[in-house]
Amino acid sequence: MAADKKSIVLVVIIALFALCSRAPTAQAPAAPQRIVSLIPAVTEMLFSIGAGPRVIGVGNFDRYPPEAQTRTKVGGLIDPDIERIISLKPDLVAVYATQTDLRTQMERARIPVYLYQHSVDPDAVADITATIRSLSKRVGSERAGEELARHIDDDIASTRRRVAGKPRPKTLLVFGRDAETLRGIYASGAVGFLHGMLDAAGGANVFADVNRQSIQATTELILARAPEVIVEIGIDTASSKSRSLRAWAVLGSVPAVRTHRIYQIRGDEMMNPGPRVARAVRRMAEALHPEAFK
Amino acid sequence: MSIRRRIAFTWLGFGAGAFVVCLFAPLIGSTSIDFSRVFDTSIPFADNTDAQIFFVARLPRVLAGAMVGAALAAAGVVFQALLRNPLATPFTLGVSAGAALGAMLALTLNLPSGIAGFSAVPIASFAGSLGAVAIVYGLARARRQGLSTNVLLLAGVTLNSFFSALILFVQFLADYTQTFRTVRWLMGDLDVSSYAPLIAAVPPLALSFAAFAVLPRSMNLLSISDESAASRGVDVHRAQRLAFLSASLATGAAVSLGGPVGFIGIVVPHLVRLLVGADHRLVLPASAFGGAAFLVACDTLSRTMLAPLEVPVGVVTAIIGGPFFLWLLIRNR
Amino acid sequence: MNLLADGVSFAYEPSQPVLTDVRAVIERGGLVGILGPNGSGKTTLLRLLGGLRTPQRGKVTLDGVDLRTLGRAAAARRIAVVPQETQLAFEYTVLEMAVMGRYPHLGSFEIEGPDDLAIARDALRATGTLHLESRFFNTLSGGEKQRVVIAGAIAQFTQGERAADATEVLLLDEPTASLDLAYQLEIRTILRQLNERRNLTVVVSTHDLNLAAGLCRDLILLDRGRVLAAGPAADMLKPALIEQLYGVEVDIAVHERTGRLTVVPVARARTEHRQQP
Repeated sequence: MAADKKSIVLVVIIALFALCSRAPTAQAPAAPQRIVSLIPAVTEMLFSIGAGPRVIGVGNFDRYPPEAQTRTKVGGLIDPDIERIISLKPDLVAVYATQTDLRTQMERARIPVYLYQHSVDPDAVADITATIRSLSKRVGSERAGEELARHIDDDIASTRRRVAGKPRPKTLLVFGRDAETLRGIYASGAVGFLHGMLDAAGGANVFADVNRQSIQATTELILARAPEVIVEIGIDTASSKSRSLRAWAVLGSVPAVRTHRIYQIRGDEMMNPGPRVARAVRRMAEALHPEAFK
Repeated sequence: MSIRRRIAFTWLGFGAGAFVVCLFAPLIGSTSIDFSRVFDTSIPFADNTDAQIFFVARLPRVLAGAMVGAALAAAGVVFQALLRNPLATPFTLGVSAGAALGAMLALTLNLPSGIAGFSAVPIASFAGSLGAVAIVYGLARARRQGLSTNVLLLAGVTLNSFFSALILFVQFLADYTQTFRTVRWLMGDLDVSSYAPLIAAVPPLALSFAAFAVLPRSMNLLSISDESAASRGVDVHRAQRLAFLSASLATGAAVSLGGPVGFIGIVVPHLVRLLVGADHRLVLPASAFGGAAFLVACDTLSRTMLAPLEVPVGVVTAIIGGPFFLWLLIRNR
Repeated sequence: MNLLADGVSFAYEPSQPVLTDVRAVIERGGLVGILGPNGSGKTTLLRLLGGLRTPQRGKVTLDGVDLRTLGRAAAARRIAVVPQETQLAFEYTVLEMAVMGRYPHLGSFEIEGPDDLAIARDALRATGTLHLESRFFNTLSGGEKQRVVIAGAIAQFTQGERAADATEVLLLDEPTASLDLAYQLEIRTILRQLNERRNLTVVVSTHDLNLAAGLCRDLILLDRGRVLAAGPAADMLKPALIEQLYGVEVDIAVHERTGRLTVVPVARARTEHRQQP
């Protein structure tokens, strides 16, 4: 009997040791509770995966969801307000990879950062879901992130299926021009997230041969490339739709103008590589292939 | 050769040169077009891509280049005579800074089009230039004895600095894409794509050039000294006023049309003086034609150099003008 | 027949009058010097006489006609002003500089013709600068520049070098101030020749007593904006007047070789009349 008691005590002691020794080494990092994000897309992602309550600071241009606007504003890409960021005592700050000054400052203040980079891959749309996954892991909402990412992937795949096999119209994707004129037209080149959206929506970029994110589309260029569809996004809500559309009329030989296939898609989800990208792709697909969505 | 013949030859020679450049420029471009189709009237215009490229994309652009180039070069000559300084440019006295501020505000506030389909940017830009002119003129006239060129220079340079600071401030307040647009505007853009802006620019330019037609003799005298001019019967105050206002008007109209394209107002007059001498009756018309040819040539380069991409025309004039200017300075040592 | 400043007063700023009630008579064919220290108003008087400024009180008349009535262009054909220095920002040639003197004779869009060119060349010849006609003005020496500017001035007159019936006046502001001795002598010779040969009225403003003594037949002494005295040079160049004007004791003597009066400063005057400006 004495031997049994001794072994039990031994086992208990060993078990206790094992537990105690595991505790410090196996301690998982706590999920960040005070998150600051300078990137509109990342802010949206955070709110979408349920991390919204933990977000205490957002960038100046973060407008979605509306709740985000109630958080403290801390600047943007060009002018991050470092003092304010530090004063919020965050435990995670999402910054652009290019903001080297800010990154150095965060390092010095021992504040962990999450690096974000605008994708320049041909498959930039897929990078969005990849970002959602990595971000959600970083903030400890992995499951919600995985769910959101899968949802987006499925949604986009479904759009792709709807337009698969249909002829891809030559599309000019315009993301900026001087209000109501044809001056200063900027269109998407064959690189970047806008091009990715266009591709997923079943369009063929007229500038598929230009390996740049943006190209200034001069009058001659537009006439020469003769797009069959013109899609305009990033439109300022103040400008008149009728006057804007009328400006294109002078390019009479462009097929898109002659067949009145000029679509203005308003809404900032069109310009933000964020969680609403599936909806953006779908809206674009509806414009390019209306018959597929009846 | 008598001065009469020299004037005639200058007009003919430089005029012909400008005409030839403007004739050939629309034939060149980043796209190759079929010229038999361009002028084929049997094809309806709306279907004729080649004609559209020629008449909608290229021709207005060449005309804009000619107008802007002529205006800036001529204004440069007038300012240089007025300020008695060959290094003066149309942008020295703040007109262009006012135009830039107007354009910046229109771009940043994303103002919708102003009047009858004209874009807000040129209108705001022109208004800005007129504002700058009014301020400089008002400051220079505050002294009782008419327009003092020293005060004019001081007022202009000060206004330049002040407006430039305001421009930076507006850029800072704007968001990223708007800032990019404003910076791009500063590099010049002649792609007007319609004849309306050209027609709108005609009245101020016509007024300015009408004044330029009567100024050269006075400019010869004024460029020596106020007293030389007065002693020879020139109404100095009136001539200075006319010179300042007409050159500023031309500059404002040109900048509103194509943005502040640099180097034309100083490179072309210098080059012209090397060829024809200092008499303004030769220098002014020759510079106007030379400016037109120079800018149209630069714009042709700008749209073919890196096709399909376009190098902003102000960058091209700087790349050509800068080294040329350095060479001029070295040569004069 | 004269150029007359009749009781003129002028001030650039209201609180600082430069000339007060000045009467100056320049007879046709005269060789007059306006003499005074710096700040006495000489240049301003010259400008008024040249029609470059309008007096606030009084008037300036040429052969009895008020300059304001005469008009700019007409005045420019009979009165020419030569500034002290001419610096060019642009490269005009000597001939171009001379021809610019013909502008008062040209209509709005008129271009100078062979007659004008001939007159301009005559003017250059009269000042001994015709051989420089193709040179750039900026490359000339100080004396050559001044002679070319004088040529440009006399080209303003109706027939250039040849005499006319009306009074034609050449006004020069400190013509020898920045010149070397040799050039000073040159300019004096030319001015005297122009005056004697073609009856050109010459008015020189200067603070240089020896220029006044060596060149001018008549003098107007200007003291702090007022006429101190006026008359033949010999009468004006008296030690008492000079001392009053400059605050310097001088010796005045006739120079043996040239026969001209020379003025030599001896010492500061014991009684201080002048405040230095």
